Amino acid sequence: MTNKSSPDSDLYGTNFSTESIKVIAESIGIQSLQDDAAKELADDISFKLKHLIQDAAKFMHRAKRIKLLHSDIDSALKVKNLEPQYGFHCAENLPFRFASGGGRELHFIEDKEVDLNDVIQNVNTKAPLEVTLRSHWLCIDGVQPAIPENPPPLAKEAQKIESIDPVNKISKPNKDSANKPSARKQKLKNTETVQIKQLATHELSVEQQLYYKEITEACVGSDETRRMEALQSMASDPGLHEMLPRMCTFIIEGVRVNVVQNNLALLIYLMRMVKALLDNQSLYLEKYLHELIPAVTTCIVSRQLCVRPELDNHWALRDFASRLMSQICKNFNTSTNNIQTRITRMFSSALQQDDTLPLSSLYGALVGLIELGAEVIKTFILPRVTTIGERIEVHLEGPQVSNIDKIASGHIKQLLLKVLAPIVKNIIDPPDHIETYQLNYGYLGGALQAAVLKARAQPVMATTTYSNVVCSPNIMQQSFINTNRAIVMNQGNRVTTPTGNQKIVFVTQRPQGGGQQQQFSQQPAQNSPNTVVKFVSNAATASTQKIVTTQQKLVVVGIPGSSASSSVVSTPSVVANKSVNLVPKASEEGQAPPDDDIISHD
Amino acid sequence: MHPPNPDKNQLLAVLQVLKKYNLKGTEELLKKEANIDESVESQDSDVSSVLTGYKSDGDPEKYEDCYMELKRFIESSLDIYKHELGMILYPVLVHMYLELVYNGHTEKAINLMKRYGPEQDCYYQDDLKKLALVTKRDHMSGNELTDTFKSNQFIIRMSRDTLSLLKRHLHDKKASVLMNIVQEHLYFDMYEGVARNKIQINATSGAVIGEATRQDNKTKVYYGLPKAPDIQSLAAPVEDEDDGLDADAPDKPKKKKPKKDPLFSKKTKSDPNAPPVDRIPIPDLKDNDKLEKVKALREASKRVNLNPETSPSICCYTLLNANHTVTCADITEDSSMLAVGFSDSLVKVWTLVPQKLRALKTANQLNDINIDAEDVLVRMMDERSGETSRSLFGHSGNVYSVSFAPDRTLLLSCSEDTTIRLWSLQIWTCLVVYKGHMFPVWDVKFSPLGYYFASASNDRTARLWATDHYQPLRMFAGHFSDVDCIQFHPNSNYVATGSSDRRVCLWDCTNGNHVRLMTGHKSPIHALAFSICGRFLSSAGSDCKILVWDLAHGHLVAELNGHNKPIHTLTFSRCGNILVSGSLDCTVKMWDFSKLADDSSSEDVNISHNPEVKMGDNYLLWNYGTKNSPLIHLHFTRRNLLLAIGMFDGISQTST
Repeated sequence: MTNKSSPDSDLYGTNFSTESIKVIAESIGIQSLQDDAAKELADDISFKLKHLIQDAAKFMHRAKRIKLLHSDIDSALKVKNLEPQYGFHCAENLPFRFASGGGRELHFIEDKEVDLNDVIQNVNTKAPLEVTLRSHWLCIDGVQPAIPENPPPLAKEAQKIESIDPVNKISKPNKDSANKPSARKQKLKNTETVQIKQLATHELSVEQQLYYKEITEACVGSDETRRMEALQSMASDPGLHEMLPRMCTFIIEGVRVNVVQNNLALLIYLMRMVKALLDNQSLYLEKYLHELIPAVTTCIVSRQLCVRPELDNHWALRDFASRLMSQICKNFNTSTNNIQTRITRMFSSALQQDDTLPLSSLYGALVGLIELGAEVIKTFILPRVTTIGERIEVHLEGPQVSNIDKIASGHIKQLLLKVLAPIVKNIIDPPDHIETYQLNYGYLGGALQAAVLKARAQPVMATTTYSNVVCSPNIMQQSFINTNRAIVMNQGNRVTTPTGNQKIVFVTQRPQGGGQQQQFSQQPAQNSPNTVVKFVSNAATASTQKIVTTQQKLVVVGIPGSSASSSVVSTPSVVANKSVNLVPKASEEGQAPPDDDIISHD
Repeated sequence: MHPPNPDKNQLLAVLQVLKKYNLKGTEELLKKEANIDESVESQDSDVSSVLTGYKSDGDPEKYEDCYMELKRFIESSLDIYKHELGMILYPVLVHMYLELVYNGHTEKAINLMKRYGPEQDCYYQDDLKKLALVTKRDHMSGNELTDTFKSNQFIIRMSRDTLSLLKRHLHDKKASVLMNIVQEHLYFDMYEGVARNKIQINATSGAVIGEATRQDNKTKVYYGLPKAPDIQSLAAPVEDEDDGLDADAPDKPKKKKPKKDPLFSKKTKSDPNAPPVDRIPIPDLKDNDKLEKVKALREASKRVNLNPETSPSICCYTLLNANHTVTCADITEDSSMLAVGFSDSLVKVWTLVPQKLRALKTANQLNDINIDAEDVLVRMMDERSGETSRSLFGHSGNVYSVSFAPDRTLLLSCSEDTTIRLWSLQIWTCLVVYKGHMFPVWDVKFSPLGYYFASASNDRTARLWATDHYQPLRMFAGHFSDVDCIQFHPNSNYVATGSSDRRVCLWDCTNGNHVRLMTGHKSPIHALAFSICGRFLSSAGSDCKILVWDLAHGHLVAELNGHNKPIHTLTFSRCGNILVSGSLDCTVKMWDFSKLADDSSSEDVNISHNPEVKMGDNYLLWNYGTKNSPLIHLHFTRRNLLLAIGMFDGISQTST
């Protein structure tokens, strides 16, 4: 191609490649398109498409948007007296998904499968919401009221600047007195000049003071409905940044006092306040993390958090605070502050301690680590399971020393079993011999084995997504040949996507010429039990699955018309019952799926 | 024979055209007059080349050298002339490129474009990108941009000295390629005086086909406002505690003006720039209209005049659940109703006051009403039919603009389906479908006096209509690309249009001529607003600039920068002191227009002297952001409260 993406000038953008044209030609049944014909077509199509997009941009502008929608393309086509593209509809963003394997990269649009039966039977399809009009004050006599309809009075960015350089805030209101410092500066010129960081003043208006009083009272008061309202307000109101320092001080001081007094209820209330602050999108909390993190840590690992440790459920507080901690790590971890690393180190060094560490603190350190994700569990907890097992064995099996310790040990055991089972399941291959477990995990080995067995027996919760991507046979072919054993996509060790979107990719291969098909069916057939496509997806399932988010999921490739494929379907015990939409019933009887589908399971 | 050979070719071309359209009589006549006999017309190729204007036997190798030579000459010339001379580089490059492409030297053309395209001024880059798509001769046919370049001369304003310098250079070099282009495709609008500097040039360049010529802006424009029609004879029915009114009984003749009432003492002097009252026919005011006027004046007396010391209040109407479906909005002059157009062909009207939207009673019920009753207008309405919002169905495409009639009984909407619809807000149905535009209609506006309305369309024309004619009264043709927006002058004698060819044009409604042509925008124009005094026009668009023009001579007065996304709505406060702009960047910005007007009037301005363009943000008074709601429409109430219509964009918020 003569003018294919020259880097020096963007006047000539990209053109369609002749290969693309040939693939398109093939897809409509023209087998051998000549090179020069393809090139001619590619040029012409590129020209026409670019024109179309230019015209569509006009429609976008007139609709007062800066995002081009499919309807704009339709309108541009209509103006040119061409048939619009029917059947394409998308109201929202169209994110391009990306997949790579075998050195080839593929961008595609995720296309969710729609079960026609569902559509037909579900008469109560949700109607789109009606457009409503909401009136509110954008500003009153030049002052913008801080209501939810307006943007936060001080944008997060501005809060950040202010927190980094408080002088910024001071310089603005004191414009008139700007002469003063400069005069002073001149006087001091001969002597030593020291730049003193001025203190930023945070004055609260009477309303804000009242609000602060109300909120704090409600949060630690006895009325639960009021508390809910107060927390809701803290989590959503945009104008809180001015009283944020005071709120933080309130929480920190509260924790300090109530830990000493073992006041469990108040500690829980305070942690809920932290949660609300974390949930508020408009706050720049970075400034106060150094105060909040110790307070939260206290609530996780403190030796005693309640008056009667044998009766009160202080474990819930530790669990809750650990979740807060992991949320802090998720939200604020950067390469410069290394919060996650530091917190992990803190908890793991607590685990290293000998028997002097109280069992309640041990539990706290464990749960703190566990909330940080599966990788952390694997690295820091698994190696210490034996030691921990020895420690709790004394309290559980040995002569009764104290009831408190026994309860604590019980909690630790339960916690470890619950968390470790899904991880160990993937580390140790079946069959699960109790000896291996006892060798590896000591006292807890037996119980762990039971838990693993139970986990294996359960049907795996996984949502399977499936989409059709028609891609050029070259790409498909290559990826299959190069990676006939395993394609590992996005082996991220941390999955922190908050939206919970499933990132599973599937490719359907159209039946191609006979030769190619042969190739497909033979190669994987030999290795089929091992043909595993792994990738990571977040658990879209309930919170119990949270810890296993990074667990890798297996994708099994079914091959058409190959007798070997029956073994594919039957090998992993979990395949059949989850592939309802993808594989017809026949596959359970050992028949191959009709199309080259790749099926996912975890 | 007088005309030399090339002219003969042109005549032949004309003949061919005549033949093509079967205009036998004219053909005969022309043949006789030009003394051409049948035998001469033989070389078809020659003729078609004259028609396209790009046939050139120039050596393709020469083009690049030629351009280089020209560039070198410009760079080596004196600094005062350099920038003016530099203006010819872009059109020369464009035409060289088109010539090369036309003659099949695609490779050479692409090289030329790649090499010199990126170094042109940034505001030409968009057009260059579009041109770069054209790489074959057949791409050129029907292409909007190449057609524009082909059939129009690129206008360059130059001082006499610069022009003579250029001419000398061309004469010396004798480069035929360059000479051809300059002669065929460039038009030099010469002026006496000092050559302009780069900033001055940049301020007014950017339009597709160069700057406006001086000739374009010579016509006198009556930008003033005529004396308000007399409404005092009806002022009395509005009984008030005001003493001045009591004397003004309904039976008193209007000549006797009680000067006590401050409401009516305004506008007694007639504006020297105002058009004669009968310049365009305007329907007589009905009693009801006069009452309305009095009410408006009364409201206006309670108005808070905005200035830098008195901060404004803004009431925002945010449309929820309307992700990207809202395309336009309008509010009635008295701020009682809001109309919104949607991309799904729907027009919806909301009431903004406690009074509900009522429909007329049925014909039978109307029969029973006593016509002589005082409150006949109220009785006509069916109380039970009151609703807070009503939908109007009828269009079959995106609704791109809506506009209320001043008397609030009619609503206009225009759509992608190429029609304009007139809706009744009393019986809530469509009254008329105006068909005339061949392509989507982008904008429609009612005249501030009612009766007339104007539309702007994708077919590159703007049209003037009257509600009782199903065909347009005037067609304003002359834009090279879509007419994107249209606005009536407050005195209804003129309409202003903004176009994708990046020019603002003022048209005279009486004869359909353009009377002002203003260049300076660098991107399509989306919003226009006339100042309250009628002298200034502000325009804004995709280039995120607000330009203010003085209609007296068509000069650019100011360039206001501050927004960073396209601006789609502009309005002046009722006191005329503040200009407000609303943009897709979710901000409302308020500019000190009174200061701007003061600053510009202190300067000595005449047709040949360009005032300095005021820039900078020292005119920005206030800036208010909305919460992720792009601004669709802005409107000042009679008491100077700003109403803003925004559309909450929930999608892009969650995705970011």
